[in-house]
Amino acid sequence: MKKKALFGLLSGVLSVSIVLSGCSSTNSASGKQNKDPGYPTKQIEVIVPFAAGGGTDLTARAMSEYLSEEWGKSVVVVNKPGAGGATGTQEVLKQGSKDGYSVLVQSVSAVSALYAGNTNLPFSVEDQQFLAKMTGEPLAYVVSADAPFKNINELNEWVKKNPDKFTFASNGPTAIGTFGTIQWMDSIGADFSKARLVATNGSGDALPKVAGGHITLAVQGVSEVSNLTKAGKLKILGIAAPERSPFFPDVPTMEEQGVKDIDVSLWYGASAPAGTPDYVVKKWETTINKMVKDPKFLEKLDSINVRPDYMNADDFTKSVEEETKDYTEIAKEKGLVK
Amino acid sequence: MEAVGMLLNGFTDALTPINLMMAVIGVLVGTLVGMLPGLGPTSAIAILLPLTSVLGPVEGIIMLAGIYYGAMYGGSTTAILLNIPGEVSSVPTCLDGYPLAKQGRGGPALGIAAISSFVAGVLGVIGLVFFAPILANQALKFGPPEYFALMILALTVIVNLAGNSIIKGLIMGLFGYMISMVGIGPSGGQPRFDFGIDALSAGFDMISIIIGLFAITEVLKGMEEKQTAISVGKIGSVYPSRSDLRKSSKAMFRGGIIGFILGILPGCSTAVTTFLSYDIEKKMSKTPEKFGKGAIEGVAAPEAANNATSSAGFIPLFALGIPSSPPLAILLAGLMIYGLQPGPVLFEQNGSFVWTVIASMFIGNVMLLVLNLPLVGLWAKLTQIPYGVIAPIILILSFIGAYTVRNNSFDVFVALVFGVLGYFLHKYRWPVVPLILCFILGPLLEQSFVQSLSMSKGEFSIFVERPISLTILVISLVLFVISIILIRRTKTRVKEVVGTDLDISE
Repeated sequence: MKKKALFGLLSGVLSVSIVLSGCSSTNSASGKQNKDPGYPTKQIEVIVPFAAGGGTDLTARAMSEYLSEEWGKSVVVVNKPGAGGATGTQEVLKQGSKDGYSVLVQSVSAVSALYAGNTNLPFSVEDQQFLAKMTGEPLAYVVSADAPFKNINELNEWVKKNPDKFTFASNGPTAIGTFGTIQWMDSIGADFSKARLVATNGSGDALPKVAGGHITLAVQGVSEVSNLTKAGKLKILGIAAPERSPFFPDVPTMEEQGVKDIDVSLWYGASAPAGTPDYVVKKWETTINKMVKDPKFLEKLDSINVRPDYMNADDFTKSVEEETKDYTEIAKEKGLVK
Repeated sequence: MEAVGMLLNGFTDALTPINLMMAVIGVLVGTLVGMLPGLGPTSAIAILLPLTSVLGPVEGIIMLAGIYYGAMYGGSTTAILLNIPGEVSSVPTCLDGYPLAKQGRGGPALGIAAISSFVAGVLGVIGLVFFAPILANQALKFGPPEYFALMILALTVIVNLAGNSIIKGLIMGLFGYMISMVGIGPSGGQPRFDFGIDALSAGFDMISIIIGLFAITEVLKGMEEKQTAISVGKIGSVYPSRSDLRKSSKAMFRGGIIGFILGILPGCSTAVTTFLSYDIEKKMSKTPEKFGKGAIEGVAAPEAANNATSSAGFIPLFALGIPSSPPLAILLAGLMIYGLQPGPVLFEQNGSFVWTVIASMFIGNVMLLVLNLPLVGLWAKLTQIPYGVIAPIILILSFIGAYTVRNNSFDVFVALVFGVLGYFLHKYRWPVVPLILCFILGPLLEQSFVQSLSMSKGEFSIFVERPISLTILVISLVLFVISIILIRRTKTRVKEVVGTDLDISE
């Protein structure tokens, strides 16, 4: 009797879970149609391919709050982390509905850097309809607060003299930190092939190891380094941006210190599967453009140390294509992809 | 004292309504599961782990920690009244608690147990306040080689968690480590062991495996065992007399101190310290012949040791990332889910989080005393809830929990598979805790190993050249030997008392 009851219970629960999973993926087979039914008419699911609480997640949540209010329909953020952002990305691009109700919010790490570093992904940039770039932040070059370098030039000299002693933290061979390091070393004429990459698992892993002097350098987003810098454990030698960061007005830019040609930066943007109708793209473009000027939204961005950086769908697509091309070239040239 | 200031700040955060509520829920659930047969703190924390995707880190960990130390109070109730030790660590409490209950003095025994638990719990948390920052101040001195050494130290815990056979424990650990490798590698970014299956390319979700092994397995076990309702006799007043208090006050402190000092050692379980403190109390007593026949000190000492050890367990957990017991291993998983990697850096980067949780433990212990003294009769009645009611609830919560973490039905399937697997592992006495420990720590071990070697250009000497790393490795070796000795001793004592081999890892 007991066994029967057990199996009955199990199959009951299983069937419930199957029904649940069936509901979550509403695959209406609408292709490219251009008649606007008054989008959005129902709830939109936004997938973030990284863990809750990270930079991408924070931007996505600030966005969903604004859009829910603006459109009067709920915009729900769902985190599907894994495989450097590939898991959640694949889910939307390959399995998501093409009607604007399945949307992706990513950072550069899950797009250009991912495409450049992996040749055998189950999806490609052709599967992706970019909607709008929303926010961005420049990269900060940080060393331990106790490190003997007062500015980036002292580090430049040291690296050129001690190429085989130099280590840097990055989240993988083709993570954004690696590209940041390469561009800096190329710019100052140092030898990247001698530099040793210590692969770390996100900034929470990398930064304390730099602060403790175990790794020489980390190249991470300004928002990520701000806590340990304010705590006096890290020193920002330079920020790769045309202007000084409003969050660290005393820190000079890389360019001010004579290190030119660094254009790598972090960005966060929205996209959908290819084949999503034009009216959806238009709606996102106009609303996001309005959002990045909204004072309440800007205040939220300030609290996470991120700046608005709007781009419409076409410009965004072009910039990603160029960026991917650049990164792929760099990756090939430096032997990052095997 | 910087720590005291931080702690006071922690109190202001811990006393906000939401955090206070979380602590209440935690200790209530903890007391309940500590008492219910067939459901322990490990399963309870496992079932509630998915709440981490809804709650913030502070609220979530306050609640989960509350379950953990709350269960230590609950465990004594069934031990004293029904002679059913919920865990092996409650066995010594039975020795004198049950005779007292039969003499109609169950009430005072429960009272002394609650008071001892409270005194030791508070002692333990005070110790935590002073010890943890000492370790944590070394935070930034820990680079990859030191972390690697720390992981090796953590793995010596397997000896304590393995139960009866260390070999079986090691095999299970290896199995857990292999499961942790499925998915994208932590350093190179290449997919491993996914056999071309998309669902596997993201690796196994920690929560679904934990839910499977600890919640679903528990239900399957419970369905097999015959659960009979047991009635509880008269309890009497729970407020102990003055002579009871005088007799047990020294035992309380001794038990608390023994429990705490051994509890700081990474991996020292409550089963070890409760037996040890009971035996020491008996040796020091002027009337050792009364032990086993209803000596109140025999309840006070092990209960105090139990709680002191469990509070002290937070020191290696927070400061080194080493869990000393199965529930703490699950709690470690909870911290990792929040991206709060325990270890020396935790105090540095998330100081306010840690101190809020510690402050909540003071509050939680006070609540437990309040809950336990007057309400103990009510709690005792709850032990009569039939398992047929509890089991389906656990099962449904488990499935919902496994699904919601990544909104993925594959994870539900994984939970189910591991639930069935866990059942058979239990049946044939293969310990699952080493599996989960290695599953959690495996990626960290691998990553710190690879990071160290990238720093040293592939020279293995980096692990012994650096003083901190070398010291930790030496300590690991010493601890490994001590653990084996202590476990042997505890095993013989358990056998003497219970008459059979018990799984002392539970």
